[in-house]
Amino acid sequence: MLVYALNRTLTLVPTLLAASFLVFMFIHLIPGDPASILLGDAATPEEVAELSRELGLDEPLWTQYALWLANVLQGDLGTSVFFREPVLSVIASGAETSILLATMTMLWIVLFGVPIGIVSAIRQGSWVDQATSGGAMLFASVPTFWLGLYLILIFSVGLGWFPSSGFPSLADEGGASNLRYLVLPSLTLAAPNAALIIRLIRASMLDVSREDHVRTARAKGLHPARVAIKHIFRNALIAVSAAFGFTFAALVSEAVVTETVFSLPGIGRLVVQSILRRDYPVIQGVILIIVVFYMVINLLVDLAYASLDPRVSLK
Amino acid sequence: MSVPASVASVFRGRVLATAGTCWLLVVGIAAVGAPLLAPFDPLEFDPFVRLSEPGWPHLLGTDHFGRDSLSRAIYGARMAILIGSGSVLIALVAGGLIGMLSAYFVRLGHFLMRVVDVLMAFPALLLALVLMTLLDRSVLNTIIVIGIVYATTTARILFGMTLKLKRDVFVDAAICSGAGHASILFRHILPNLVSPMLVQASFIFAFAQLQAAALDFLGLGLPPEVPSWGNMLSEERVYVTRAPWLLIFPGALIILSVFSMNLVGDALRDNIDPRFKDDIAGV
Amino acid sequence: MVLLDIRDLDLSIARGGELLPVVQGISFTVEENETLGIVGESGCGKSLTALAIMGLLEGSAVRIAGGSIHFQGRNLLALAPVERRRVMGERMAMIFQEPMTSLNPVYRIGDQIGEAILQHRRMSRKQVHERVLELLDLVRIPDPERLIDSFPHQMSGGQRQRVMIAMALACDPKLLIADEPTTALDVTVQKDVLELMHSLQTRTGMSIVLISHDLAVIAETCDKVAVMYRGRIVEHAATSALFSNMSHPYTLGLLGSIPAHDQDVEWLDAIPGRVPTLDELISGCAFHPRCFAAKDSCRTVDPVAAAVAPAHFVRCHFPQGNST
Ligand SMILES: Nc1ncnc2c1ncn2[C@@H]1O[C@H](COP(=O)(O)OP(=O)(O)OP(=O)(O)O)[C@@H](O)[C@H]1O
Ligand SMILES: [Mg+2]
Repeated sequence: MLVYALNRTLTLVPTLLAASFLVFMFIHLIPGDPASILLGDAATPEEVAELSRELGLDEPLWTQYALWLANVLQGDLGTSVFFREPVLSVIASGAETSILLATMTMLWIVLFGVPIGIVSAIRQGSWVDQATSGGAMLFASVPTFWLGLYLILIFSVGLGWFPSSGFPSLADEGGASNLRYLVLPSLTLAAPNAALIIRLIRASMLDVSREDHVRTARAKGLHPARVAIKHIFRNALIAVSAAFGFTFAALVSEAVVTETVFSLPGIGRLVVQSILRRDYPVIQGVILIIVVFYMVINLLVDLAYASLDPRVSLK
Repeated sequence: MSVPASVASVFRGRVLATAGTCWLLVVGIAAVGAPLLAPFDPLEFDPFVRLSEPGWPHLLGTDHFGRDSLSRAIYGARMAILIGSGSVLIALVAGGLIGMLSAYFVRLGHFLMRVVDVLMAFPALLLALVLMTLLDRSVLNTIIVIGIVYATTTARILFGMTLKLKRDVFVDAAICSGAGHASILFRHILPNLVSPMLVQASFIFAFAQLQAAALDFLGLGLPPEVPSWGNMLSEERVYVTRAPWLLIFPGALIILSVFSMNLVGDALRDNIDPRFKDDIAGV
Repeated sequence: MVLLDIRDLDLSIARGGELLPVVQGISFTVEENETLGIVGESGCGKSLTALAIMGLLEGSAVRIAGGSIHFQGRNLLALAPVERRRVMGERMAMIFQEPMTSLNPVYRIGDQIGEAILQHRRMSRKQVHERVLELLDLVRIPDPERLIDSFPHQMSGGQRQRVMIAMALACDPKLLIADEPTTALDVTVQKDVLELMHSLQTRTGMSIVLISHDLAVIAETCDKVAVMYRGRIVEHAATSALFSNMSHPYTLGLLGSIPAHDQDVEWLDAIPGRVPTLDELISGCAFHPRCFAAKDSCRTVDPVAAAVAPAHFVRCHFPQGNST
């Protein structure tokens, strides 16, 4: 298993390098001189000249890339033009919100998506199935910000059950009860994703249920529910687990819209605000971090996949 | 099977998909006939009727500039169709070519599919945001960006499908009879891919609407004055408590259209070659 | 004693809003400790008949349209699902045609065999483990201690079929339905598996319904034979009686075309024409388009089953055997 994990990690390195090169090139693709872009409008010519030298802007592109990469590997992602702070600490301040939001969203997806998916597969063709399949597709067709706005309208403005915006850290006053700030945003984010998972679970379970070994299981006289969970769902899970991983990995960036609607201090809103503020060092840093996160999660999914399916040889 | 017969077989017994198609036709008609159908100029400010409720003469009310919502919604259909078909076109042509060529020419495929892998390391919305940062806000740029985002997934899918087809005997037969690469690719392989591509197209069309609306909402999509459903939502969102209808109508239009397109895609997918069914995720 | 008694069984497939008959008016009985062979070309309804007996048609497009299935004196078709599941896997078990895909790829084979035991017997984990080892030994799997923890993909086709047999025998069933248990296996392995089944039968006294393509296999192993063509039993007799006095032209055709090795080859060399599809309507005797002995009456009148000798029934206007 360990060897397999190492192998998979090594195969990621080229993609990661190529992706990081694209991220590096981002600053160069923006019209203008990279040093003055990175420093923002308020910079003096001396500062610009200084940074140009530091970045090696008169050197060939690949030397610049090597310099940049060396800095990145040491945790130096540059300085935010807007906050006048290291990019890494700006991003770190959004991490708590983003990770909690993604986790809570995942919780809803599993809590609602899995049972509904299973039921709609077992009752294939019944009105329950048609209603959930249709409902799932409908939810996947709703713009997230629209859903978020109406959840605020109903549950915060109307009923006053949940706060409508912001998120004080768990370390602040209120402690764990501050999680209620994330209930509506996570539901908003969960809706379209749970819809996809429901449809996926249903489809994979229907595929598996046509396989011969399911008939063998039924021939043992097992209860249909046991066949459905232990034999059909368990095998369908192999395909579905990958989707869980991709979904989680994508949540951090998909949260861009939701975090904006609910004014959450997460990484997603940071991206948008940085784009609007033209805070390029932050944009570059966030993209890099999200891409690395995305790839790491996908790697973990791969490993989970291998451990779920004994046919994948772990050599 | 003749064309009308096969179309009929897609929709037989599918009430929802048929209703969806009808709705899309309505959107199409609104898009084409917008100048004739819209009662007002969608861009004209009227400070005297700001935020007026639905009624006469503004059937769907007016926004905070006093612009007529119905007229903006009708012109919005134009944007929806434009963005949908534009990004489908880019995604299918670019993604399709990359996927097909990569599967067909193995060496080239090694390189091109790595590039696709790298692009796919960026989550879809993030990729769109980054690309929009580099470009100005305009209709064309929005279409290009969304098209590029879905070109990557399309390339992957078509890569897999072309590989499957390549193994088929009929290609061998074509090679034996001395057909050139272009003829094998476009006369023997492509025709088999048309219906799966159509399914993929309907899903891209649907997703593109949501992506475009999200970009509009973030202030990174179409220029704010362009009458699109996404802009109608994002411009008026602060008035959601004072004038809730301003968000209900454009929201419902987006949902209906995306839902319809998904239904159509789903119905089409059930009728394609079973080998390709699992390749196209859709919703 | 009669263990299994099937009367006038009709099966239909629901397709596009209509019911197509696939199996029509099948009747046979199986005594205790007896082996019945069912033989016929691909698609004649053998597997569907077996699935109907097991009760595995639920959830498919196939419906039981008429008739009765009595097992140990009880009509299975009238049982509630709970009761039915108590019979399934306990007193009646089945081995399937495709050993490569009939085991769940994600569970160890020991657990898959044990699952059947746990379902029907009150036993501790340890007792189940012992029993599984015993079963694996019974079906002559070498080194059961090691193989009990392996996954299906780590085993050969022959081994998997042995595992399937072990699983079927887990609760000492009274009836074993074997649907072409050897078709997918190598010729050498085929023999072993058939011998194994035979020796297990002598040991446990169970009855077997053996479905096969292969008349030679049937001749060696069965007490009685039912020959099926297009959803009907066209000839039915004790094995010795049938082979000494083959009466239906179709049975004769099958004999003439026993394929040497490859079980997948079509029979069609000796019997001209092809098996008609389900939705083709054929007037008169369903076999007449391919029959060398067909006369005018065969095209218009469907023959009924008639005895050509005691306990030897043939559904043909012009039986070929020596008793005519
Ligand atoms: N689940 C099903 N749904 C629809 N049609 C079916 C189904 N199962 C079998 N059939 C059809 O019923 C007919 C009889 O099938 P069956 O599997 O009983 O044949 P068989 O005699 O076992 O053939 P083989 O030797 O190939 O196993 C075939 O024409 C088959 O196409
Ligand atoms: Mg069969």
